[in-house]
Amino acid sequence: MNALGMYVARESGLHSLHPLTKVLLTLLFITAGLTLPGNWTGYFIVAFIVFPLAFWGRVVSNLFSATWKVSLPFAISVILIHGFFWGEGTPVFEVGILSPKWEGAIFAAISMGRIILVMSVFLLFSMTTRPDALMITLKQAGVPSSIAYIIVTTLQIAPSFQRKALTILDAQRSRGLETEGNLYIRAKALIPLILPLVLGSLMEVEERAIAIEARGFNSGKKETSLIEIPDTPLQKNIRRIVIFSIFGLIVLGVLWRL
Amino acid sequence: MFENIKKEFTTRTLVLIPIAIAINIAIGELVVRLKLPVYLDSIGTVLVGAIAGPWAGALTGGLANLIWGLFNPFAAPFFYVAAAIGLMAGFAGKRGAFQNETPRWVSVVVGAVFVFSLTLFILAFINASTDETGYTSYPSMSQLFSQYLGIFIFAILAGAAIGYFLLQKGGYAGMWGLITGIVAAIISAPTAAYVFGGVTGSGTDLLVAAFRASGGGILASVLAQGSVSDPFDKMLSFMVVWLIIRSLPARFTSR
Repeated sequence: MNALGMYVARESGLHSLHPLTKVLLTLLFITAGLTLPGNWTGYFIVAFIVFPLAFWGRVVSNLFSATWKVSLPFAISVILIHGFFWGEGTPVFEVGILSPKWEGAIFAAISMGRIILVMSVFLLFSMTTRPDALMITLKQAGVPSSIAYIIVTTLQIAPSFQRKALTILDAQRSRGLETEGNLYIRAKALIPLILPLVLGSLMEVEERAIAIEARGFNSGKKETSLIEIPDTPLQKNIRRIVIFSIFGLIVLGVLWRL
Repeated sequence: MFENIKKEFTTRTLVLIPIAIAINIAIGELVVRLKLPVYLDSIGTVLVGAIAGPWAGALTGGLANLIWGLFNPFAAPFFYVAAAIGLMAGFAGKRGAFQNETPRWVSVVVGAVFVFSLTLFILAFINASTDETGYTSYPSMSQLFSQYLGIFIFAILAGAAIGYFLLQKGGYAGMWGLITGIVAAIISAPTAAYVFGGVTGSGTDLLVAAFRASGGGILASVLAQGSVSDPFDKMLSFMVVWLIIRSLPARFTSR
């Protein structure tokens, strides 16, 4: 984990879009994939919207390998569970107690479409948007600066906490803590690892609170930013349309299913 | 009400939240290294709920999943479940579940009642029958009791033992964890079933397969899987937070 998330630095039109536009488009694609009727909507959106956008953003190979990596465990589970444990249906073949059903295979394919859609849309967003730029625009859009503080700080400190956890693991091992063996031995090792991690971290709270208060965190005055995020009137209009479309899709999606 | 929410978000709470999310991630890493069959990925969230209050806990949980979603999109759609866990932890904290010691016999009762209901639930689920019209009928309680009396007695004894040896003096915290786990299982099942085809891509999918094989529908199987694994996981998380809070210096918890 690092502070830039999955960001892939490239010069592209998609990268230079206003982050809020990309947030709203991400939400729009996912809402569309989950609300529009038809079983294969997910695949259509991935093929005809997400893929061209990734091409525009010059991250096709990164997006492909990352989506593959996160979707593969789901694919295995979905195919095994729905292929082989479907219950009643038309069998594809029967070998002993194994009899995969067509209905199960189709359901597995439909589910995979949704999974790949959600994974690829989120990953495309995080690959083409810098988290710090996103925070600046969220603040400008009226999201409380405390929320922005939480997100930025988390991304900054999480890697050092992971390192700290591993340091504690090594330290406790060198004092003779057994971390390998049967389940009972491994489970017993958990508390001597968690307590130092948490208690040590909580001691930082006081220091950090004083530090940010000393920098005027609670002043209530509007902040200015060193970095300007470019925006265009066209994108502002697109964002309005996207917001209406998301609400429209949700309402229609509910009506279709009634 | 609004004033109460505002009062929870002091500077100290705001500083605590990112640290808690980082703790979630770091403990998740430790659990993977120790190859333990649990998640324990919401200890930080429960901690904020316990120290700062329900709304701070809910914000921690929700943001934790959304931020983690930047790395693994699977977490993002479940942000509302994590928020509910933080909220429940906050309510538990307000009722003193994390500060007080519980008499051990209460822990015994909590453990016994829980394992008993879990057994009842699973047996009712396995023995449910669906007729041609798609109507699912469940066996009656007396039928189950006469058929599985031995299993029920064993479940009560095993639950009592869990209560006595595992919950020990943290009975109330454990109980709140169990309730939170059930709530989490119920509200996460629809998203898991609809968006992800009922799978998580991890070991718990074996349970889903088992429930599907015994004839349950997809949503029902996901719910059953969650009801088996979530309460235990959240019980452990709440117990760990109970231990943490009792080892904190008094100046930390007095606010």
